[in-house]
Amino acid sequence: MESEFFLNAGMNPVPPLPLHFNPTSSNSPPMPAWRSLPHSSSAMDMSNANYEQPPPPDCFFGNPNWDRSTDHHTGGLQYESALSSMVSSPTASNSNIPTESFMIRELIGKLGNIGGHGSNNPGEISPHLAAASSYGGSASNSCYSTPLSSPPKLSLPRMDQFVKTMGLNSSVAEFSADPGFAERAARFSCFGSRSFNGRTVQMSGGGGGGLNALPAMNGSLGGGKLPRVSSSPSLKALGSQKGNKGSPPPRQDGGELGNSSASPEESSLSEQRIPNAAGDGSGKAAAAAANEPNPRKRKAAPKGKAKESAAARPNASTAKEVETNENPTAKRSKGNGNNESKSPAKAAEEDAEAAGNSGGGEEKHSKGNNNESKPVEPMKDYIHVRARRGQATDSHSLAERVRREKISERMKLLQDLVPGCNKVTGKALMLDEIINYVQSLQRQVEFLSMKLSSVNTTRLDFSIDPLSSKDMYQRNNSGMAHPMFPVDSSASAILGHHHQNHHGSNSNSSISHCPLDPFALHHDQFQSFCDDDLQSIVQMGFSGNGPDADYNSGSSPNHQPSSSHMKVEI
Amino acid sequence: MASTIISSSPVTNSDRSKRRKKKKSAAAAAAAQQFKQAEGSSSHARWRTESQQQIYSSKLIQALSQVQLNPSSPSAPCRGRAVREAADRALAVSARGRSRWSRAILTSRIKLKFRKQQRRRGGGGGISRARKPRVSVLRLRGKSLPAVQRKVRLLGRLVPGCKKEPLPVILEEATDYIAALEMQVRAMTALADLLSGSNQASAGSSG
Repeated sequence: MESEFFLNAGMNPVPPLPLHFNPTSSNSPPMPAWRSLPHSSSAMDMSNANYEQPPPPDCFFGNPNWDRSTDHHTGGLQYESALSSMVSSPTASNSNIPTESFMIRELIGKLGNIGGHGSNNPGEISPHLAAASSYGGSASNSCYSTPLSSPPKLSLPRMDQFVKTMGLNSSVAEFSADPGFAERAARFSCFGSRSFNGRTVQMSGGGGGGLNALPAMNGSLGGGKLPRVSSSPSLKALGSQKGNKGSPPPRQDGGELGNSSASPEESSLSEQRIPNAAGDGSGKAAAAAANEPNPRKRKAAPKGKAKESAAARPNASTAKEVETNENPTAKRSKGNGNNESKSPAKAAEEDAEAAGNSGGGEEKHSKGNNNESKPVEPMKDYIHVRARRGQATDSHSLAERVRREKISERMKLLQDLVPGCNKVTGKALMLDEIINYVQSLQRQVEFLSMKLSSVNTTRLDFSIDPLSSKDMYQRNNSGMAHPMFPVDSSASAILGHHHQNHHGSNSNSSISHCPLDPFALHHDQFQSFCDDDLQSIVQMGFSGNGPDADYNSGSSPNHQPSSSHMKVEI
Repeated sequence: MASTIISSSPVTNSDRSKRRKKKKSAAAAAAAQQFKQAEGSSSHARWRTESQQQIYSSKLIQALSQVQLNPSSPSAPCRGRAVREAADRALAVSARGRSRWSRAILTSRIKLKFRKQQRRRGGGGGISRARKPRVSVLRLRGKSLPAVQRKVRLLGRLVPGCKKEPLPVILEEATDYIAALEMQVRAMTALADLLSGSNQASAGSSG
């Protein structure tokens, strides 16, 4: 994850970084995580080295633990790039995360490289950084924002400060103005989608604020400098790239609770660094998959906790606290382990699964680090599912559970609809009942259509009247748009020849007969229809308004018996 | 009516609703919008509202009046089938194309006509291509072992347009379809009684 990011980040700009990684000096908690990463030792070194460098950004992020020891100028570029990238990442809250700082540095570094600022940027940025840096560090590595360094706070205030600083400082502005940075920032804004947004939320938009600040700054700068401030596609691409690599590493994150949120981002950054053009296509899918499991893992713990957890990510102790505070429902460690163990396979599975399931049975290990209530991933919509207590938490079972719940919910609806289904239990029996019912209904319709056809033939001479009434209906409808009208007109036309009493009595008699004789097909069901609907219709409708009542009350005598007399006025 | 139905080739919902029953559907749709606001979103509530019943009844009557098979006077089953198809189509139109089964009903006729045209044009060659052998629903019984799966397929075949859908989709469609069928039965029963009642009355009075 983060290490991944670092590795890649480190690799891209300056592949051979003789940085020395000193885990103990820096934040210890994250280090083991890094160590656990299966990256090559060299990569690790690089990442480590990078890790060391970010103290200045750390100060910015309020990380007091940062080791200011190593300021490797060789890594200066990376620093800056890391820093810039870190800026975008909202995970920097607690900033014990060297990765974040690293990212920021990298960004800054890249910034320095790009945009022809040449010496300007480093020069401009470095004093700025230096001013801020209480952790020392080379000029290039100096802390990003002076005011930020003052109190090591949580990410929220830090990010705000950072944002302000960013807005205030021209160097920062330039930094943000760098097209590469802007692009990266834009990517980041879109990138983490779930995780990222979650972090943003947690940090009360700190991370997002940082990102937002950039575009804002760009806008303040006059916009001309940054043509592509928020290129979400690029960001997504970045994310996808990152996701490619990010998936395995994030899983590896052992003790970290909500690391996945950070890791995807960082890994995405790293992905970006790595010229992974080929991986773009697959990367996107993988990224989606990677992003999906990562944020999935960390579903919503309480926001406060999420904040803490995000901040505490680098801190094992804090993480532990969060863990304890977290919902007891999920087996976090186990889930974690599961995730880690299955990360590579999981990515593929989830990919397929996500593709397969529209709703996405997105399992969510209640790590609750990023307590993102709803992932706003634009690419896919996931349904966040929380593993229940005592239930398996692997992706398959959770997805299965979601699917089963959907099915059972629909079966319940059907149960209400189909009479006689309350007694039976079990899918097979219920399906039997449903099938029988549908078949009976269809047979009824056929029978009725036969009957209607026979009736029609006998009454064909009367069809003229209905037709005329139909014309009337159409004309009237154009004016009134009252559905009652045609029925009324046609029915009355049909019945026009007969006395109302006569008709009423006849209808009554005929209708009273109907349930028994012609519709003996499914006596019970039809009884339910006729007895309720027709009888009530007949009694209420015919005596009252005539044929109108048929349709009026026929629809729902149970629902609106009182209105059967009158036309429905809605 | 058949011609009018067939003339509407596009399968899209909007087109269907517009062209299908011409003025009738348009008028009914306007009326429906007027009265449908109060109806619930669930399929049960929707098909049980009086407004929906009225809409369907009006459509049904118009459709039936257009079934002019009496002059040709084919056999009773044929006429009955025509009436039934008309009723089903009216029901599908009332569904406003929001459900799979309604869309399948409305498009089935077009496909049939299309296939007929193909057959005419392609002579004998197009027949096998155009028409798929219909497997009866009951034949599924002997096929697959898992009972639930078998029944799901059965149900899928019963509900129009859901032959190869997964289970949750089939259940959803079945819910809506059952509610719509109930309304259809109610409306047709009432109409039949009405007509038969008036028939009796007229026969009684004239005779």
